[in-house]
Amino acid sequence: MKTLMRLTLPGLVLFLLSSACMTGLSRPSGPATVVSPDSKAEPPIQMPNREGSFKFAVLGDFGTASRWQYELGAQMVKTHKTFPFEIVLMVGDNIYGTERPQDYVTKFEKPYKALLDAKVKFQAALGNHDDPNQRFYKHFNMDGKRYYSFKAPKQNVRLVALESTYPQPEQIAWVEKELKESTEDWKIMFFHHPLYSSGGRHGSDIQLRETLEPLFLQHNVSVVFAGHDHFYERIKPQKGIVHFVAGSGGKLVPGDLDPRSPLTARGVDWDYVFLIGEVFEDQLTFNAISRTGQVVDSGIISRRQPEAKKAESND
Amino acid sequence: MNQALSSKLIQAVGVASLAASVSASAASQTARSAPAPTATPQLSSSDAAAVAEFMKRVNDYVAIHVDAEKASPKLPVEATPLQIDQTQRSLATRIQSARAGARRGDIFSPEMTAIIRRVLNRVFSGPDGTQLRSSIMDENVEYIALKANQRYPDAYPRTTMPPDVLKALPELPEEMEYRFIGRQLILLDQHAHIIPDFIPDALPGK
Repeated sequence: MKTLMRLTLPGLVLFLLSSACMTGLSRPSGPATVVSPDSKAEPPIQMPNREGSFKFAVLGDFGTASRWQYELGAQMVKTHKTFPFEIVLMVGDNIYGTERPQDYVTKFEKPYKALLDAKVKFQAALGNHDDPNQRFYKHFNMDGKRYYSFKAPKQNVRLVALESTYPQPEQIAWVEKELKESTEDWKIMFFHHPLYSSGGRHGSDIQLRETLEPLFLQHNVSVVFAGHDHFYERIKPQKGIVHFVAGSGGKLVPGDLDPRSPLTARGVDWDYVFLIGEVFEDQLTFNAISRTGQVVDSGIISRRQPEAKKAESND
Repeated sequence: MNQALSSKLIQAVGVASLAASVSASAASQTARSAPAPTATPQLSSSDAAAVAEFMKRVNDYVAIHVDAEKASPKLPVEATPLQIDQTQRSLATRIQSARAGARRGDIFSPEMTAIIRRVLNRVFSGPDGTQLRSSIMDENVEYIALKANQRYPDAYPRTTMPPDVLKALPELPEEMEYRFIGRQLILLDQHAHIIPDFIPDALPGK
C-alpha cells in the first residue's frame, strides 16, 4: 500500500533528507534509522489538534513504580495540557511484579493521577506480566474481558485490544468476527507482543504474526500498537500496515534495538517514550515523545483503503 | 468451550475412533460444538478414554471452582485493586481447602501425561519447533519446584503460549489455561491464580 508519511511544508526539506533513511534508500550500513540522543532530528510534524478529531496516547511496559515511569508520566501530563488526548491505549505489562492493592497505586494511580483526575480513559491490554484479573480493575476499562473492542468517541475508528500471551482459538475466531463486522473506516489494534520488532531480547513474534496478520490484511487494519520490547520503534509499513513498538513506558533496554534491522523506520532505545496520535478523517498524525519532552519521531499515516474501493479507483 | 480435542491433538495422538473423541467432548459439562470431523485420524480407544477422563477431571475441578466462586464475594466489572485481591485470595483459599491433599497427577493422569508429552513432542519436533520453544522460553525460568494447589508464583510472568501449541492441546474451560513454568506444563486457574496440577518436563528438549 501507499499509506504513510506525508508532511506539512515546514519540515519538508529536512524530511526528504531523512526519509531516504526511513525507506532504506541510503546508508546501507550503520544506524541510519535509530535516532541517537544528540542527533539533529528533522523538525517534528505538529499535531493538528483539530476540533472533532480523535486524540489518544499509547503507553506500554510501564508499571514499575520507577523514577523513569513517573518522569514519563509527568511528561504525558504536560503534553495533555496542550494536546488533550481522551484515551490512553495501554499495550500491556501494566503492573510488574507483585499486584497487591498498593502496587496498583504506586505503579499506576500515582504516576498518572493528573490524567485520571482529568477523566482521561485508560484502555488496557494485558501483557505477560499482568494478572488476568486486571480486567476487572475499574481504571483499565476492560469490562471484565481479556480481549475486547470499542468505538472511539470521535471519528470513525474501531479499536481492538487482544491478549497476545494466550491467543487461544476462541480469541482468534472472535477477532476475525469483530474485524469482519466492523464498519469503521479505521481499524486499530493494540496488544502486547509485536508482530514486527527489531529487539535483540524479544524481537518479532513470528507465530503470532502468522496467525493474526492475514486477518489484519483481509479486514483492512491500518495500524498496530504493541510493546514487550523495551524501546520505541516504528516499523516500515508491512504489507501496508504500520506497526509501532511502544514498550518503554517504564522499562528501557538501551542498545537492544538492532541498528542494522531492515524493519526499522525510526527507533529510540536511549530514553523512555510514549506516543500521541490524532485521527481526523483519513489521516492519523503521530508524535513519539521522550521523557525529556523531545519529539523523537513524527509522521502522518493515511488509512488503508478496502480492497473493493482500491479496485474501483483503479477502474 | 470444550471443543475437547482439536484435530491437531487427534492427528498427534493418532489412530482410533472418532466416536471416542466425540465422547471425550461429551464428557465436558460446558461442551461447545467441535469442528466438523472430516477425514480425521482416529484416536486409539485407550487414548480416547484417557482424554475423556482428563476432561472429566477438569470439569470436576471447575465444579469446585464454581462452588467456591458462589461462596466468594462477587467481583464487579469495575473493581478496586483491594476487591480484586480479596476476591482472588478468598477464591483461592476456598478451592485449596476443598482440594486439601491435592497431589500432582490428580488431573493429569499418567495416561494423559503420556499423551500430552507425545503431542508436545510432535509439535516441537516440527519445522517451527525452535521458534515455538524460544517463544515459550522468553522470560521463562529454568526451573522452580511446584506443588499442586499452590498459588502461582507472583514474581514470574506468564509464558506466552503460541497459537500452534494451544491448538494442539485439548481446549479448556474459561476458568483454566495452560502455561509453562520452566519446562513444566501447568494448569492455571486464572481467576484464583492457583496451579491445580502440572506435568514436569513437558516441554521437550533441554
